[in-house]
Amino acid sequence: MARTIHLDLDINGKTHGLDVEPRVTLLDALREHLALTGTKKGCDQGQCGACTCHVDGERVLSCLTLAAQVEGRQVTTIEGIAGDDGTLHVVQRAFLEHDAFQCGYCTPGQIMSAVACIREGHAGSDAEIREYMSGNLCRCGAYISIVAAVRDAAATLGAGQKAEAA
Amino acid sequence: MTILEPRKHGSAADGMVGGRLSRFEGELKITGNATYALEYPLENLAHAVLVQSTIAAGRVVSVDAAAARAAAGVLLVLTPEDELGLMTASDWFGNRSENQPFHPLPKVVRYNGESIVAVIAESREQAIEAAKLIRITYEEAPAVADMDDPKAGEGKLLDAMTVEWGDAEKALAASAVRIEAEYRTPREYHVAMEPHGLTAQWDGDQLTVWEPSQWTHGMARTYAEWFGIALDDVRIVSPFIGGGFGSKGGALAYGAVAVAAAKKLGRPVRLAVSRPQNFTSYGGRAATHQTIALGATQEGVLQAIVHRGASETSTYMDYPEQTGAATPILYKVENFSSQTRVVPVNAVTPGALRGPGKNPSAYGIESAIDELAHKLSMDPLELRLKNYADHDYQSGKPWSTRRLREALTEGSAAFGWAGRRHEPRSMRDGKALIGWGLGCGTFPVIRAPSSAMIRVLRSGRVEVVSGAIDMGQGTYTILAQTAAEALGVSIDQVDVVLGDSRLPGSAIAGGSMLAGSITGAVHKTANAAREEIVGLALNDPNSPFRDTGANTLVVSEGRISVASGDGPSMTLSDLLSAVGRDALEVTRNTLPDDAQSATDRSNAWTSMGRVQGPTMGDTSMHSWCAHFVEVRVDEDFGTVRVSRMVSAFDCGRLYNPKMVESQWRGGIIMGIGQALLEEGLVDPRNARTINNNVGDYLVPTNSDIPDIEVISVGVPDYEASALGGKGVGEVGIVGVAPAIANAVFHATGKRVRDLPITLEKLM
Repeated sequence: MARTIHLDLDINGKTHGLDVEPRVTLLDALREHLALTGTKKGCDQGQCGACTCHVDGERVLSCLTLAAQVEGRQVTTIEGIAGDDGTLHVVQRAFLEHDAFQCGYCTPGQIMSAVACIREGHAGSDAEIREYMSGNLCRCGAYISIVAAVRDAAATLGAGQKAEAA
Repeated sequence: MTILEPRKHGSAADGMVGGRLSRFEGELKITGNATYALEYPLENLAHAVLVQSTIAAGRVVSVDAAAARAAAGVLLVLTPEDELGLMTASDWFGNRSENQPFHPLPKVVRYNGESIVAVIAESREQAIEAAKLIRITYEEAPAVADMDDPKAGEGKLLDAMTVEWGDAEKALAASAVRIEAEYRTPREYHVAMEPHGLTAQWDGDQLTVWEPSQWTHGMARTYAEWFGIALDDVRIVSPFIGGGFGSKGGALAYGAVAVAAAKKLGRPVRLAVSRPQNFTSYGGRAATHQTIALGATQEGVLQAIVHRGASETSTYMDYPEQTGAATPILYKVENFSSQTRVVPVNAVTPGALRGPGKNPSAYGIESAIDELAHKLSMDPLELRLKNYADHDYQSGKPWSTRRLREALTEGSAAFGWAGRRHEPRSMRDGKALIGWGLGCGTFPVIRAPSSAMIRVLRSGRVEVVSGAIDMGQGTYTILAQTAAEALGVSIDQVDVVLGDSRLPGSAIAGGSMLAGSITGAVHKTANAAREEIVGLALNDPNSPFRDTGANTLVVSEGRISVASGDGPSMTLSDLLSAVGRDALEVTRNTLPDDAQSATDRSNAWTSMGRVQGPTMGDTSMHSWCAHFVEVRVDEDFGTVRVSRMVSAFDCGRLYNPKMVESQWRGGIIMGIGQALLEEGLVDPRNARTINNNVGDYLVPTNSDIPDIEVISVGVPDYEASALGGKGVGEVGIVGVAPAIANAVFHATGKRVRDLPITLEKLM
């Protein structure tokens, strides 16, 4: 099975052309073919959440998604959430402030889940944050700080939205 | 007492030792720019995949690799028939058997899941596809699945681990109140989020290995000895490690396979150990059994402890999980007896997992103490205080520092323990049975030498350089703080370079020994660098300070000036410019003066030869903690949830409380997993690890974890380390499981003596 297909993927607002076998996952396309290694491989079987990315704004497990499935859709990875000038996303800042990580390996997936969790409206209480962040394992055990970071970032983003509406 | 409140905004003091500086390398990690071992881009990279045994014991008769070799993209198939020409490397202490060949793909199978074949192809997908075509013919031999297998037997008594004082059996028999019980823990796994693996590249005789490592220098030695090359020709690169917990301290067989493949192919090879293969490529915590008998007076004064422990090991190495490690040092007891056995089974040799020995040991003794308290109708807190150890009864030495009493009293106050009704099943909230439990923990202070280099550059930057590693403990952060404070520069000027065996050697990031060791080395080096800067300023003909007549100068906030405030004052950068220097470089180590030869230094960084245990000095040195737990047990379904925890710690001085809190909570959370979720399951028919993935081997998720308050009650302990800290990484997990088990007993009246505490054991 050496046949390759050509894909044009929209990742972080840029088009990336690549020739890969049809069986290549989005995760491996990012890490092995596009040098976007911020997205992590923790289990390669959809159990740990380390590979979480956004496709059309929704969180997906990139290890269970074929690269070929996302052609024509907007993919966002951890490399694409800071501002163009490098300004950190509110969620990234909150993770640093609350020490919501240790080894850092699950962190990109946690942050991508956190951004989506807030956007989905699932950051209304600590219990809700815990539930909607439970697809992302952290073996270092930063969960309490992750909840604090998501709570804090949700408040900041909520205040920003209210200010915009007003 | 310090209750560690998260703070919103930092202060200038955060850059000093003891400050709450945010994680120094944090921005790299939150942006995806921290590069882990399998992420280095290399030209012409080939991908290796392992094929593991499907039998528990026996011999590989033949490997049919024809179809795999013919598959698309396949470059090489390595089988037990391939002579790789490797030699066995030294053990952890630097001892090496002579002329022993090493076969990382063995002909004799010792456990189910042992790597037998490697397939290397142009792409990982092709290697996986071809690996499915490998056919291995075995001659099976009888196997022992686990220590509960009737064929396992009693195992071997390890005489060197027997501990006795007084006459424990006699004192036990004479005691008015006695309890005896057996406690069991299952196989447990590290499950670091970054799976193991490596990228290997040869350049002539020079080998570079990008591999997550808790000990770059130790692993470099192993690769050098396996392949018969000079230590200086091996470089291990590991600036970021996606969690280790004890699993990434040494080079493993698959590493030899990847490096051998890279050599044969003449191109770099990446080997990613799959998540299921991680469960058998190295050992987790061994399963344990221990029987504990306690004797006490009617008033609850402990008279005797008799401990008999056993743990699983492999058929090819005796690796004891020391269930008697915490038993002798938690309480005052005049009569003590402990024996340790290992039971060989067909499994990969177990390894060190966070709090090795101390952890299952504390589960035993801290459960037993709770059982004794119940039998005496006494508050378990009161029983612990009543039998408080005024010194170390095992070594006979005084403690260096031991603020376990403060941990117990201040922890209980923060938890509200005084409101506990001691009768089991006496607290409830509707259908939820409420239980409050207590468990203590301890971990020894282990010391080792380290070295470091500091470069003060004309650019104004200061580099702190060491082969030490940071897998999330906070090494980058505390070394930046240590150097900034000792040197007198702003934290913003400091860069920290770690995780490379070509850099100055250090202690392993294991046994909670790295922070105390490497901060000592960096502190010494930074002081020496400051003295050298001052000497340069006073003596260099082109220095503006030369004619000030000052005897000494001060360095503060990156400026050097005369102490009186009169005279010149300039940045270190300007001083170096004035004297025409590009950089000032200082290297120091903490080896004794009589052990400074090149051989001494090399051995110190690549073996455990100079590691010192907790009682090798005049005192007995340990970290201590007390965990207070509330559980809610559903009366109908038996489900247990930890709803609240307060843990109080004596770890001496904290170099950075923000990092330490994260370490403590991380250990506690792993302990919650151990108590309620984690259990390696073995198929008795073929000794296969059944739940070899993170959907079936359950680790805690976010929703399993309540608020956990952590409290520091420690005081600086300058016998334990140069800067007064004791280990923080491992002690956090120790004592959590018994605290939860004791809380479950308090809630339900049911004593579960085998972990994890799952619902069927409470029904």
